[in-house]
Amino acid sequence: MRMSPVKQVLLHVFVVLFMLLLAFPMAFLLFNSFKTEQGIIASPMGVPREVTFVNYQEIFTESTFITNFKNSSLVALATVLLSIIVSTPAGYALSRFRFRGRTMFSMWLLATQSFPGIIMVLGLFTVLKTYHLLNTIPGLVIMYTSFSMPFSIWLLKGYFDKIPVALEEAARIDGCGRVRSLVKIVLPLSVPGLLAVGTFSLLLSWNEFFFALVIMRDNAHYTLPVFLARFMGSGGVVRWGPLSAAALLACIPVLILFMLGQKYLVSGLTGGAIK
Amino acid sequence: MRSNDGALKEERLAFPFLVPALVVLCGISLYPLIQGITRMFYTYRALAQQTVFVGFQNVELLFQDPLFLRAFSNTLVWTITSVGMQFVLSYWLATMLNSRFLRFRRMFRGIALVPWALPPVVVSLMWRYIFLNGGPLNTILHSLGMAHPPNWLTDPHLALWTCIITNIWMGIPFVTVMILAGLQTINKDIVDAAAIDGASYIQTQVNIIVPSIKKVVLIILTLETIWTFNMFDIVFILTKGGPGNASLTLPLYAYENAFMYYQAGYGAAIGLLILLCLLVVVVFYIREVLR
Repeated sequence: MRMSPVKQVLLHVFVVLFMLLLAFPMAFLLFNSFKTEQGIIASPMGVPREVTFVNYQEIFTESTFITNFKNSSLVALATVLLSIIVSTPAGYALSRFRFRGRTMFSMWLLATQSFPGIIMVLGLFTVLKTYHLLNTIPGLVIMYTSFSMPFSIWLLKGYFDKIPVALEEAARIDGCGRVRSLVKIVLPLSVPGLLAVGTFSLLLSWNEFFFALVIMRDNAHYTLPVFLARFMGSGGVVRWGPLSAAALLACIPVLILFMLGQKYLVSGLTGGAIK
Repeated sequence: MRSNDGALKEERLAFPFLVPALVVLCGISLYPLIQGITRMFYTYRALAQQTVFVGFQNVELLFQDPLFLRAFSNTLVWTITSVGMQFVLSYWLATMLNSRFLRFRRMFRGIALVPWALPPVVVSLMWRYIFLNGGPLNTILHSLGMAHPPNWLTDPHLALWTCIITNIWMGIPFVTVMILAGLQTINKDIVDAAAIDGASYIQTQVNIIVPSIKKVVLIILTLETIWTFNMFDIVFILTKGGPGNASLTLPLYAYENAFMYYQAGYGAAIGLLILLCLLVVVVFYIREVLR
């Protein structure tokens, strides 16, 4: 198969255009975060003429940004760990045992995708209120774990399916119990699956906005998306300088970790969908 | 007898492994779902300051409420065009990224993933800036000779489409990666053989490519439909449903009722309608995944 030179050039032109379109909007955040308000109005899309750090200074000293950053980090870390702890045994059971209700269980997991946010948030509001978990980080973590769990279980089941049962059977003859064989034999072979689940729950918990908006009630408890939305909404005019600085900083951790983990997430996502 | 015993034994083995997930599933998924749905049978009377049982009144009110009908039709437009355009553009991009004539393939694929990782709130405020009246897009349009570039966020005919464009942008990486993975499973020799036999571009697509990636395409389309129908962040940040109610969608309208107008019952009724719409879609999703 050959491709004419003209077509090859066109191929590269279109791909580069796509890339510009997908990556360039980020540049506005970067540029604006180093401009003064007047600088942004004077030149809405250029590189800053003179670099200023007032925006960063403002969000660090005059806003709750640092607290909200800590909240987001804590929520993400806890959600990732809890998701793995809850999903691993369930994924293992789905992969290794044929039990009654197995299909029902799988269907329920998949069906949770379709539950409307508004109904869930009304119900969860009542649940969290009962246990005094409204406006708390544990409340948010429990919610996010329940959101990431169905997919995590499904993904890990896929990974466990690929590990030969014979390995475990050999160990069991030597007197190794189910739990030990899961921890000692299956898990070390499923590291890519665990990384995929970790990346997925990280994205979900770091980026989620709607539920955090309803559950978290004051500045000290906001996660970063809620902080950004509130910061934008406060006062009449949107102050793009500090907002861009905060938004950019809110992206950096998740972007770096996503780039490290995306390989596993993508293969986990597509593994189940393609076979 | 024996097989029955065996099955029971497997259940006894499986149960302890399932306990944590079952607890989460019942306590933080099933119970809130039921609890949330039952809210639609109640309404809050502000004067009496109490919540009273009203049966299906909230559901009946839905279909007499012009704002609800507006939000419903907006949501349909929003979902169908977003998912459709995401798919078309991503299919195009994925085909190009899959071409063996493309250089720097890995680098391009890496860049294409970036929007996927960004918080939707950040994506929305970024695009709100781009669409601003004196913002980058209008600056470009102006320099291209357009004397009066449109008011993307405040023109009632455009506001919803501005949100849709943002949503399409945000969804491209996920859809592209999934399609790309599907395309990569296709044996290139078969495509080459078809070309040697004189198959046209359309014939190759219809007879080889589409059947090979049908499953992944159906999964993407159903998932994206569900996610887009439920999407709250973009409209909330970009237009808050405005100007007027030009870009109001169902999730936003439900949120406003439940948390701004103290009408949780009405919000839940809107939620039930969303659920009914999505159940139809999720059935197709489950069927494809379990197949």
